[in-house]
Amino acid sequence: MQDSDPSGERDSGGTTLLECKGIGKSFPGVRALDGVNLSLQKGQVLSLIGENGAGKSTLMKILAGVQPPDEGEILLDGKPVEIESTRAALDLGISLIHQELNLATNLSVGANVFLGREPLRGGLIDESTIKKESAKFLKMVGLDVSPDTLVGDLTIGRQQMVEIAKALSVNARVLIMDEPTSSLSQAEAENLFVVIKDLRARGVSVIYISHRLGEVKELSDHVTVMRDGENAGELSRDEVTHEAMVRLMVGRDLSEYYERKDREKGDLALEVKKLRTPVHPQHELTFSVASGEIVGIAGLVGAGRTEMLETLFGVTPALGGSIQVSGAELELDSPVSAIAAGIALAPEDRKQQGLVIDMTVRENLSLAALRRDQKKAGFLDFAKEKKISEEMITAMRVKTPNENQIIRYLSGGNQQKVVLGKWLAMKPKILLLDEPTRGIDVGAKSEIYALMEELAESGVAILYVSSEMEEILGMADRALVMHEGRITGELTREELTEENVMQLATGGEKTAA
Amino acid sequence: MNVKILGITLLLVGLWLFLAVQVPEGFLNGNNMFNLFLRTAMYGVLGIGVAFVIITAGIDLSIGSIVCLSGVLLSLFLSVSYDPTDREHVLEIDPQRQVIVLAEQTDRFEAGDQLRYYGSTQARSTVVTLVGVEQVVTEDDGGNSVSRSLLRVNGLNPATSKASDGFLATLFPVKGVDTEKGTVTVEGQLAGLEARDQIRFIKPSGGMEQIVVGRTESVDGNTRVSMEGDMGALDAGWLAMPLFRDQTMPIPVALLSVLGIALLLGVVHGLLVTKIHLQPFVVTLCGLLLYRGISRWLVNDRDTGYGNEYESSLSLLTNGKFELFTLGEPYGTYSIPYAFFIFILVAILAAVFLNKTIYGRYMLALGRNVEAARFSGIDTDRMTIIGYVICTVMGALGGLFFLNYSNSIAPSSHGNFFELYAIAAAVLGGCSLRGGEGSILGVVVGTALMVTLKMFINLMKISDTLEFAIIGIVILVGVVADELLKKAVARRQASKS
Repeated sequence: MQDSDPSGERDSGGTTLLECKGIGKSFPGVRALDGVNLSLQKGQVLSLIGENGAGKSTLMKILAGVQPPDEGEILLDGKPVEIESTRAALDLGISLIHQELNLATNLSVGANVFLGREPLRGGLIDESTIKKESAKFLKMVGLDVSPDTLVGDLTIGRQQMVEIAKALSVNARVLIMDEPTSSLSQAEAENLFVVIKDLRARGVSVIYISHRLGEVKELSDHVTVMRDGENAGELSRDEVTHEAMVRLMVGRDLSEYYERKDREKGDLALEVKKLRTPVHPQHELTFSVASGEIVGIAGLVGAGRTEMLETLFGVTPALGGSIQVSGAELELDSPVSAIAAGIALAPEDRKQQGLVIDMTVRENLSLAALRRDQKKAGFLDFAKEKKISEEMITAMRVKTPNENQIIRYLSGGNQQKVVLGKWLAMKPKILLLDEPTRGIDVGAKSEIYALMEELAESGVAILYVSSEMEEILGMADRALVMHEGRITGELTREELTEENVMQLATGGEKTAA
Repeated sequence: MNVKILGITLLLVGLWLFLAVQVPEGFLNGNNMFNLFLRTAMYGVLGIGVAFVIITAGIDLSIGSIVCLSGVLLSLFLSVSYDPTDREHVLEIDPQRQVIVLAEQTDRFEAGDQLRYYGSTQARSTVVTLVGVEQVVTEDDGGNSVSRSLLRVNGLNPATSKASDGFLATLFPVKGVDTEKGTVTVEGQLAGLEARDQIRFIKPSGGMEQIVVGRTESVDGNTRVSMEGDMGALDAGWLAMPLFRDQTMPIPVALLSVLGIALLLGVVHGLLVTKIHLQPFVVTLCGLLLYRGISRWLVNDRDTGYGNEYESSLSLLTNGKFELFTLGEPYGTYSIPYAFFIFILVAILAAVFLNKTIYGRYMLALGRNVEAARFSGIDTDRMTIIGYVICTVMGALGGLFFLNYSNSIAPSSHGNFFELYAIAAAVLGGCSLRGGEGSILGVVVGTALMVTLKMFINLMKISDTLEFAIIGIVILVGVVADELLKKAVARRQASKS
């Protein structure tokens, strides 16, 4: 292993480090990449953006040696290189950090940094060298933990730092980060940005993939936009605006991204009084949602928002307090009773909790409704099932060849539409949405927003959790902000400003509107 | 039919064709075909049971022990004894004085009666003649006075030792035997003697015959009994001791008890897995050991069974057959065992449950993703428990089949490895141990394939020490082919979207 200081070669930038020319890649029946070019300067943060399926991940996998390109060439330092394996990529100094972290949570931080290339002494693992060396890289990413700490004991944000330290320890010159902030809190994300800027100053080049245009704008020296496997455009630092990025990504103007309309509020649909959840038993939650109202719940990751929704859905029974739906007191001890009361939840973890991804679109759409639609003695009503699933595919605009397609093969946005369709088939009075647009591309996002509007219009009470500021500001009629398990404030439409949300989310006070 | 099931079906048919061509007389003869059906039925119910557990992403290793336990329980619940009901408990005999003291006072016996003393651990059984009866009062262990009957008799062998236990039963002299009609006339009224009871005929000079009773009728104060079975050397002057048939439980009660116990065990497995969150492997491994141990303990590790007691009822399950047609030697008669019809019925019910009801759909969904199923308002715990219950109840049904098939079972080895046969058949038939995948038709074909493989080893005169090795290879090849196929399908699907 090389043991040089990554900050050794400091360059003012301008020299091209990595260049892709005319990269093409086909999978059976689909052209994933077609003549894609990409140019990365030394010490540059290059953001790669595009809708899901635009080919970003495929391109990054090629750079990281996970799969070879069919055509085109890759130049490193101006010399053509073949990246045949992930090993080869690492040797060239290219390191990919996946969206889902690849850490052994049962091992220590130090052991993870040196996983697969442990220094040996006398045939045994040299623990002291691991400790000493990994401490150096941990310091570089500003992570203040002992190398002996178990990775599983760290927060996701800190685990991410361990991944970066690991990449630096192999002397990475190109660091590829695939949606690094998708599971980070605001504070953790801010910390990550500091580290990325520091790496840039040390001459490390970063390819940054994200759906969060706000952070792309903040970080990028340059933005490369992809669409349908091709280059859609390049934006230099001073051209990076939200509108410009969206226009290039979707190929059209999205002047009305959030189509909020003013609606009539109906009667109280959900009334929660002094609710205590098992995760934050010391705090009592009191709020209400009217039918036809869209209420956002803002806050940092870990503020207890997901736990609150799960309690409202009966997944984790409440420790105390009362929940009333349309004025009737409810005893929620399982999702069965919540569903019976007209509550539906589209959970945060779509693939794990929202869908059975190896079953078909039809089977997923009908899963909640089977009990209601059964024939005598529990026999399935196949005709009704087919009818409902076809209706929902149309209503939700799910892009699928037919209702028998396996969910796994749908895009994230279409999967989310199936989750929503599953619940709309139940005609809920109250719809709980947990991060409804996480990991979904821009086009599908606006469709989801439009669906939320439609539902509210039809009288459904919507309560949604979002970690994206834009989504709270753009969609909510009213917002509750949570911090460490309690509701720190409620913001009316007029009070909804980024500053107020951040203040409350970090435990502060709102400033007068 | 999906590709996977088509694959093993082709393999099965191929194996059949091969055997039919290579060893037609061995494979195609009526007996062998009967066995193919019977074994497929017996192992098949186990396979169907475990398929449901596998579909819920669990496993049940206790099936073999459940087969054994339910076999042992059935033979206990249906055990039959033959005893004289009018027997008197003997407190003490004294051969020296030719005296028998009864535990209680009775006026049943009269001088001249022929009685039989038996059942003692110390003294030999013997036929005696009653001389006189006296009533005596003695003290029991607690010091209370008790009235007892003291019998003075003739014929107690003075060489026998003094004893203090056993029974005394009345004997009835045989007046005449009609070997033509198969009847015996016995002096006096043999009250309550019915068909399927037995009579033990004792020759005064030594020797005995025990024959099953067909019908009794009263003739001139005597009893005429038509016997079922050969009467041997039976003649007038012998003495008859009626033995009344005592069956521990009626058949339906015994069957329901065993199925009920199996159901309870399934509920316990399911509760441990869903509420205590134990791993199914561990829970049912403990079951495997526990039920085996209990089975051996219940019968003192002795071979057990109910012999030919139920030849015309329960035993018909595996011995009874629906005859189809007869060919000349060496093929013989072709027939289908009744057990196979039950198996097909079970398979149809299971397939309908799995594919046509919401409960089957719930099991498939929770097997793939238990959390998503719960978030969809499915009572996943209850559905999982039902899976385990189906498995243990099918194990008990298998236990009934195998008990009748084997007649006598050894509790230490009966049903050993059956869980592995069942799991192997389910996996061959397309169940994935990851859960959420499975087909009843596949399990049926998989079981037939396992059974045919064993026949193949026999008929092709391959050393049966290789049996496990061959089955192992076939399963391995099957799952490898399946996995490769799945990858290919996934690639095609992915490229479509």
